Amino acid sequence: MNSINLLAVTIFSGAIAGTILAIINLGLVEPYIDSAIALETQRKISSGENVDMAELVHYRIWQKGGAIAAGAVYGISLGALFGIVFAYGRKALPGDSNKQKALFLAGILWFVLYLMVAIKYPANPPAVGDPETIYYRQSLYVGYLAISGFTALGLALAWKRVQLGSKKILFPLIYAAIMIVAYVALPPNPDKIGISMDLIHTFRVVTALTIGLFWGILGIVFGSLWDRFISREEQKYATV
Amino acid sequence: MSTIRQIAKEVPRVPRIAVGILVAILLFTMFMVGFDQGHLFSIVQGQPAFDNMWMHEFYHDMRHASGFPCH
Ligand SMILES: [Zn+2]
Repeated sequence: MNSINLLAVTIFSGAIAGTILAIINLGLVEPYIDSAIALETQRKISSGENVDMAELVHYRIWQKGGAIAAGAVYGISLGALFGIVFAYGRKALPGDSNKQKALFLAGILWFVLYLMVAIKYPANPPAVGDPETIYYRQSLYVGYLAISGFTALGLALAWKRVQLGSKKILFPLIYAAIMIVAYVALPPNPDKIGISMDLIHTFRVVTALTIGLFWGILGIVFGSLWDRFISREEQKYATV
Repeated sequence: MSTIRQIAKEVPRVPRIAVGILVAILLFTMFMVGFDQGHLFSIVQGQPAFDNMWMHEFYHDMRHASGFPCH
């Protein structure tokens, strides 16, 4: 496996999936972010706070302008992770083709790195989080994410070494048990929610779907590019 | 007669250099998208970076949409 090919396949598929996610988000998620910011601004004004509307508009232009590039960078980031796991784990992944294997891995990563974390610390639109607690919330989020990610990784590494046969059902149960303990042990998000729960619920469902879509696209694009560039390269080696 | 047996790896190994670069990309971009509150720009800009938070604002909507803690 050639370094350049692996890097190119990984970064390119991440950038593509991230850009598509950003475009989908502009249509599906952005309206909720806008209405949450409108609510937040209204609340600030009615509580007597000085809101610099020009500055707010200026920030919103910057924030929306960043959306596509931000999506691409987000995609490259998770694409890099995906590429590493796929390169080492490809043989062990179920599926007849690289596309199927990549799609399977994408599903696992969405579940372990997004859905599991969202159950404990769900996504929030603007106007919910308190800037004062950001570092605390970040540590909780990263801690819970790390527990889910490393537990899954450890179990995946053990899966091949352990000869348990039909007892392999234990693996998902161990994962579930550890996540239940972590769920109970870690403190909840400390911020009080001051806007309508409807908006928040819709935001959470829509973003969970768009992030799921992102992982699916990443898997398909990555699997196709892998076939095109890396499988071909390996066939060349095999016939020499 | 002694024979040295070489076990040929059929599959070319995963290149370490590429993995190292990918880990660096992962950590750096993840910090930028999900966690920076002005830290990166403060290296050159100093304290004002924490008030402007250009990087935070640039990735802001993505941060909310992807479930990172924000405001
Ligand atoms: Zn925010």
